[in-house]
Amino acid sequence: MKKALSKIYVLIILLYLYVPIIVLMLMGFNESRYNSMPFKLSFQWYQALAKDETLITAARNSLILAFITGIICVTLATLFILGQRFLSGRVKSVFDSVSMMPMSIPWLIMGLSLLLLIRALNLDKSMFFVGAGHVVISLPYSLLVLKARMASMDQSLEEMSASLGATPFTTFRRVTLPAIAPAMVAGGFLSFMISFDNFPISYFLTPSGISTLPIEIQSSIKFGFTPEINAVSTVIIGISLLCLAVTGLIMGSSLKSMMGKGDK
Amino acid sequence: MLTWPAMAMLFVFAVFPLFIMLASSFQSDDGTAGIVLSNYARFFSKNTYLKLTGRTIVNSLLVTVISLIISYPLAYIMAKKLKGMKNVIMVLIIIPFFTNQLVRVYSWLIFLQDGGILESLLNSVGLVHGSLGILYTKTAVIIGLVHAFFPYMVITIYMALERMDNSLVEASSCLGASAFTTFRKIIFPISMPGVISGIMLVFVPCLGTFVEPRILGGVNGTVIGTVIEDQFFEIYGWNFGAAIAFILLAMVLISMAAISKWGKRYEE
Repeated sequence: MKKALSKIYVLIILLYLYVPIIVLMLMGFNESRYNSMPFKLSFQWYQALAKDETLITAARNSLILAFITGIICVTLATLFILGQRFLSGRVKSVFDSVSMMPMSIPWLIMGLSLLLLIRALNLDKSMFFVGAGHVVISLPYSLLVLKARMASMDQSLEEMSASLGATPFTTFRRVTLPAIAPAMVAGGFLSFMISFDNFPISYFLTPSGISTLPIEIQSSIKFGFTPEINAVSTVIIGISLLCLAVTGLIMGSSLKSMMGKGDK
Repeated sequence: MLTWPAMAMLFVFAVFPLFIMLASSFQSDDGTAGIVLSNYARFFSKNTYLKLTGRTIVNSLLVTVISLIISYPLAYIMAKKLKGMKNVIMVLIIIPFFTNQLVRVYSWLIFLQDGGILESLLNSVGLVHGSLGILYTKTAVIIGLVHAFFPYMVITIYMALERMDNSLVEASSCLGASAFTTFRKIIFPISMPGVISGIMLVFVPCLGTFVEPRILGGVNGTVIGTVIEDQFFEIYGWNFGAAIAFILLAMVLISMAAISKWGKRYEE
């Protein structure tokens, strides 16, 4: 394969990946109500979005939910990887597979099984269960990031600190915590993003009258939409990219130190 | 002890609900008391549901094969041809992962719709006359699903190719093997673990999708996932829905086990 041919191939794939998303973003600035040509610059859809109470409330709900999910996931994941070292044999293998399980089960199934749990307990749908569902599906991602960091950490530092007479808490605060802090932030952002983007869990569990951004988009698609959805989508993409950039910057440096000279 | 909070959370809100789902699947929706098998009997006795299962599997297979076909050359180019650009390409392949699933589906909806951009474009170059008619077909579903899942395949194959020892390839061509023979006998077998993990990451989640088939496929997009959704939101046959969900879960677990068993053969 010649170099030019390779470049053309890469370009075609990237076009397939990006063109619809770019079109969506551009059409948010187009006057046409039906996302069609010709293109006439207009900010009316963003103006409409700024006044749309439903979408703004949904955005706020999504952000709060994602924030809480992120915090809880990081806390649980950090405790888990700190405690994991003391596990052994069967318990360890069971815990390991349970902690990764939500990654392999379709979210559709996770969502409806929680819905059936709510019914079995004779409760009403509530944001508590939406949050619990989000935590459960995002937790494996925080865990993965933290586990990777923990695996690359030099364990002898902790042993040294302990043998020099530091209490376990001091060792944690002075040695372990600074080493895993970047992974905690990255894991938190990752969980935030998973929750912020999640549709299936929210769709099954959100009580009527409350909604999140993905739910609003879905119902607009179902019941008639205007390019206001393009505007809100563009905002969502912006938020996701911001999270990704932060995670990437933090993890990038620790990934590089993890791989050593291997990369370059 | 520190592991307990996370484990408690996962057991209560992930493992336990699956048991509730299993229990529900043995209850009837019409109020008959006790444990019944009617939900499963209904699924396996009706042609519609069996056909649907078949269609779901065929869809996932198609998405997997197409993803493999477009991902392999890309991964190869990244690992061997355009090494200088590999990091940039990798980042560009990963970014769309982190755009909202619904935003992505919506973008395909407006891109493919009749009167949309693609239609204007194809009309203006004369490739298509009149309306496009792709949206609400199986093709649209496949386009959307491949778009959602093929990056996984690129990453796993790339990682396998990257690890490959180049001297093997040189040795093979030194000994007079053609480029094709070298690919068939050396490169492809070495990349097999990456191909298999890629298949796992594309085929398995594809089985459980319902958003892309529903929105891009309309009535032509019915798969197991959308049938389950209907049971919960339209028909209110929750226990029957639980039974179908369990069948879907079984399909997911069986294919995961089969694929990972297949992968074991290629481990050194």
